[in-house]
Amino acid sequence: MLILTILIVIVILLAIWVVGIYNKLIAMIETVNNNNKQIDIQLDRRYKVFESLINVVKKYMDYEQTTLKDVVALRSQAISAAEKGDEKTRIAAENGISKIASNINLVFENYPDLKANQNVLQLQEEIVNTENKLAYAKQAFNDSIERYNATKKSFFESFIVGLFQAKLDKTFVYWNLPEETIKEREDYTVKL
Amino acid sequence: MNDLDQFHIKATDWRTQLQRNERRTRVVIIAFLVIYLLVGFVIDLFLYHNWFSQYPILVIVKAVVTFQLIPYATITMLGVAIIALLITFSMYDKIMLLGTDYKEIKPEGQNSIEEQQLYNVIEEMKVAAGLQFIPRVFVIEADYMNAFASGYSEKSAMVAITRGLLQKLDRSELQAVMAHELSHIRHHDIKLTLMASVLSNIMLIAVDILFYNVLFGGRRRQDGGGNQFIIFIIILRYVLPLVTMLLMLYLSRTREYMADAGCVELMRDNQPLARALLKIDQDHQMNQQAYQQEYGNTAHEDVRRAAYLYDPTSAGIRPIKSFLSMFSTHPDLESRLKAIGINRK
Repeated sequence: MLILTILIVIVILLAIWVVGIYNKLIAMIETVNNNNKQIDIQLDRRYKVFESLINVVKKYMDYEQTTLKDVVALRSQAISAAEKGDEKTRIAAENGISKIASNINLVFENYPDLKANQNVLQLQEEIVNTENKLAYAKQAFNDSIERYNATKKSFFESFIVGLFQAKLDKTFVYWNLPEETIKEREDYTVKL
Repeated sequence: MNDLDQFHIKATDWRTQLQRNERRTRVVIIAFLVIYLLVGFVIDLFLYHNWFSQYPILVIVKAVVTFQLIPYATITMLGVAIIALLITFSMYDKIMLLGTDYKEIKPEGQNSIEEQQLYNVIEEMKVAAGLQFIPRVFVIEADYMNAFASGYSEKSAMVAITRGLLQKLDRSELQAVMAHELSHIRHHDIKLTLMASVLSNIMLIAVDILFYNVLFGGRRRQDGGGNQFIIFIIILRYVLPLVTMLLMLYLSRTREYMADAGCVELMRDNQPLARALLKIDQDHQMNQQAYQQEYGNTAHEDVRRAAYLYDPTSAGIRPIKSFLSMFSTHPDLESRLKAIGINRK
């Protein structure tokens, strides 16, 4: 009787242990799948973010560039007029600059965040952020494959994997660059 | 100037670091649970010893161990622990920001570039760590450079960072700090240290009650084993706080090492964290007096001390005047740098 009870207890414990490992491996496989899709999500995000960012910034950079050109032209006009002693042209030119300046201020007051350098900074930040997220998504994908492979191949776990080959034994390929690209990237130097 | 000039830089084996500290944590937690049960056991012994004073103490020990006498005190202590833990876990988030002037950063809110950058690096680290939830982000309006993470699960997690840190660190250093904090969250450190501190507090209260009962209970018996038992309780009353404190410090330091290794795991680079830590340390040394005042003026600084990225006491700043603050909850800077593969030349 006692031996039977002990046997039953051992069988139950064994079953719990097997179920535990099974569930752990299933969770790991799903993590890998999810992390794989996360790369797609980040690629999609990059596309959308860059599209909209470039459009927005182009518009305002254009505006600022033309106004800057205008200001420079008026400024040289004013200077040459001052050299010639032509007060009337000089004052007109200076007034032109003030007018542009107040116009710019008006624009800035309406859109305080749309100063050109602010835009550039934001653009830079957004680009770095997007590229980083993509890289980290790939890293997370590879990390989850590493964890899964290490668990799958380790002692005891490999027995369970052998029992449920179809469900637990998956082969994932690490995210990597093709050979020729690696060579190309390795030889790459910045040309200024 | 690069602060890292004075250091040799090696690659880190963060996997070994994580494993080693995982083992240490397990030892500490088991030690805690064993001590907790032992304290309950001692109280049970004391109670039954008073009850059945005609029996020698060894007989009672045997009876309690074999459950012939039910250990009511141990059971009560376990019950109290569970209730206290539930209450602490549900209240904890609100406690952490007590006394500070803070601002929550939301992705759609009006943020400065710095704040946006902070949110972005946290999102990046969330992607790298494969967390399901993004923690809430707070900026504390203070000049000193520090940061902490809180929350008993990924869902309720939060990170907070002072304005000084946000302004003085560059992007990758900020990222390293946030990777450190997110590592605390994904290692469930807050849950762990909270559990340890709640257990040790209950334990110390229980031992105190026992101690005063022995002193003023007036039920002292003059039989052989009794006196020794009382002496044992008196010793316990003075030794136990020391032991639990050392265990807590050991636990907290181990978790700091783990978070540092976790940061390197996420960033695959040990230099940004090293630069950030050196910068924070130098900044604390330089503005020691000003920060002393600022830490001192912030109420409830003690609830955050163990959670901070950088323990202000290691720069000689003591916001809380207690026995505990003589021992740092964090390993010293050199050891932390060494653990991530950066040695002084």
